[in-house]
Amino acid sequence: MAMLDRSEWYDLARSTNWSPRYVGESELFPEALADPYRLPEAAWAAYDEPYKVAYREYVQVQREKDAGVYSVKAALGRSKFYDQAGPEWMGILKLHYGAIPLTEYAACALQGQNARFGRAGSMRNMATFGMLDEMRHSQLQLYFPHELLSRDRQFDWAHEAHHTKNWLIIGGRHCFDDVMMTRDAVTNSIMTSLIFETAFTNLQMVGLAADAENVGDFTFANLITSVQSDEARHAQLGMPLVDMMTRHGKKAEAQRAVDISFWRLWRVFAVLTGIPMDYYIPLEKRHMSFKEFMHEWVIKQFDRQLTDLSLERPWYWQHFLDDIEVHHHIQQGGVWSYRPTMWWNPVAGVGPEERAWLDQKYPGWNASFGHYWDTIIDSLLAGREDLTQQKVFPPICNVCQIPIANRPGPPWKARAHQLDFEGRRYHFCTPVCQWIFECEPERYKRHESLVDMLVFGRFNPPTPDTVLKYMGIGVVSEGGRDSNGYQWIETYRGRHGHGPKGHVSPLADCALTPKGNKRLWVLSRFQGDGHVKTVEIDLDFSMDEFARYCAQFSIGHHAKDQPGKTLRVRRTTAKDDAAPFPREMRFGACEPRQMDSFDVYFADLSDRDREP
Amino acid sequence: MAGKRDDERKNSVGPVLRAGEMADAVMQALEEDNPGKEFVVQDHVAYLRIETEGECIVRRETIERALGRPFKMPELEVNLTSFSGRIETTEDHMRFYLEKRL
Repeated sequence: MAMLDRSEWYDLARSTNWSPRYVGESELFPEALADPYRLPEAAWAAYDEPYKVAYREYVQVQREKDAGVYSVKAALGRSKFYDQAGPEWMGILKLHYGAIPLTEYAACALQGQNARFGRAGSMRNMATFGMLDEMRHSQLQLYFPHELLSRDRQFDWAHEAHHTKNWLIIGGRHCFDDVMMTRDAVTNSIMTSLIFETAFTNLQMVGLAADAENVGDFTFANLITSVQSDEARHAQLGMPLVDMMTRHGKKAEAQRAVDISFWRLWRVFAVLTGIPMDYYIPLEKRHMSFKEFMHEWVIKQFDRQLTDLSLERPWYWQHFLDDIEVHHHIQQGGVWSYRPTMWWNPVAGVGPEERAWLDQKYPGWNASFGHYWDTIIDSLLAGREDLTQQKVFPPICNVCQIPIANRPGPPWKARAHQLDFEGRRYHFCTPVCQWIFECEPERYKRHESLVDMLVFGRFNPPTPDTVLKYMGIGVVSEGGRDSNGYQWIETYRGRHGHGPKGHVSPLADCALTPKGNKRLWVLSRFQGDGHVKTVEIDLDFSMDEFARYCAQFSIGHHAKDQPGKTLRVRRTTAKDDAAPFPREMRFGACEPRQMDSFDVYFADLSDRDREP
Repeated sequence: MAGKRDDERKNSVGPVLRAGEMADAVMQALEEDNPGKEFVVQDHVAYLRIETEGECIVRRETIERALGRPFKMPELEVNLTSFSGRIETTEDHMRFYLEKRL
């Protein structure tokens, strides 16, 4: 029987709008869920999806895709790859499977919303396929790690992670709830289809596949590129909407949706993709650096697309380019230092050859991040593993939910950007996250980060163990440990500027403890440390005691001592120019408020008595 | 910064394909369907990035000839992981293009 060509019936098949008789148009498509921009009906009627597919074609193609994915898995199932794969690669798989499958499942709900509330029949049609795509992605990416569960309980996080309150998972969930789950069909299509699926998923699903092939995990490479082939289609949902908005006087609103979601997704993907690419993949198997992948997929391909859509680069573009040099490097340090809170075994990835590579790809790495890791190496060589695990938490950004950190060592860029709003103090990693908050404070103001909860007294008792259990560590599986049991430090013993027995400063140990009831949570911004730290102090401490108390959380952990100098305390200011407090002054006398930020820094002894 | 266009923002368009038989066929078809156009192919192990200036088209019939077997245009999706530029899809061709030239 002769079949009509698709083009002969496609318009009829996608025209599913009708005139409602029992309810009004605004009840059928409430603005908050459908279109708060009130784009004209004529514009919606002209919505034309660039990537067309009919249901019959969809089923045939998806069947072929699945057959490909499962047959590669079956064919390679008998190989010994996973018996021989190093702990570094297994770490990447655990990170990926913990973070991704249930995010894909959440995206089903997003596409479901668009399939119901998209105002054009053609948009609803594409979203229906998108919904089926995301279901495929979550099922595939739950099925594949399930096979690995018998090897390692940590693979259970593929199913469990999103049901826990692990801080990394909260960070991801907060971002995806924001860009996918809690917006109208127009905005979430721009934020998710255009920004997330066009700019960022390529990094994890295509870029990482190049590394996977080099490592020899063809099953995984085949899986993730197959997933991305769905994204390439349904990601096209957002483009016609941007065109409609720019044509109908809503360009500024479209630009804002782009600016918010681009930054939020960048902050998450730098951790998810940047850390594995630049630290976990064995050096000889690395295809490109994370920065080079960013240049290929985002700075070149995606940026050009923005221009074609008559949109501008986000206003913070230079800040974003700077962040590519820093963000995932300091978070790599944080992930490794807080390894008991992770669901995989973090890789340090900083042997001498790796460091040479990092410094070549990211000029200046050794002069800043090198100091950070040299401190850790000295402590490990001295047998002080305890110093390489964090005893206190960093403040967490109230937008991106990522620990507030920045370039360590002599540049010393870490600082919290703070805002007092309706009686509560909020903390931000950068002016960009603060801008996002200030765009829509009602959206973000009620959420409490894990550290807010600690400071607000929500944990009882307020001990690290309580927090770990809250995160699901020890419940789903044990937390992370160094991926190769610290063998990597032996390369450094007696070489590369390290003595045979390492080094630990006396400042790393402190006998002081907060006593009595006059306590306060403050931020310690310690010179050279890449992480700001949240510390509960005693208001009766002298400034010298405050400095020594804070030093124990940075010296030997992430910052080096500077023998011959003395520690001073000053308030954190934008220009780092506040005068130090007198050393004998009682800390409480400076009238600190909860979560005020203080610098602890090294000064020449001759400065010791300089008054403010 | 906005408005300043550097060298990286050329008018490159084209498919990103999973490496394999289909990518080879598409490359062959692109050469045939876009006479006189120069294509740059970057081999990234798992994927091939094929780019040309401004616009290119790939036709079902040409791919069919290159593969030596019947081929329906939507099948290309199995191997099309991404693309630069905008896309136009019909039963007979796929076109990659930009609306604005720099």
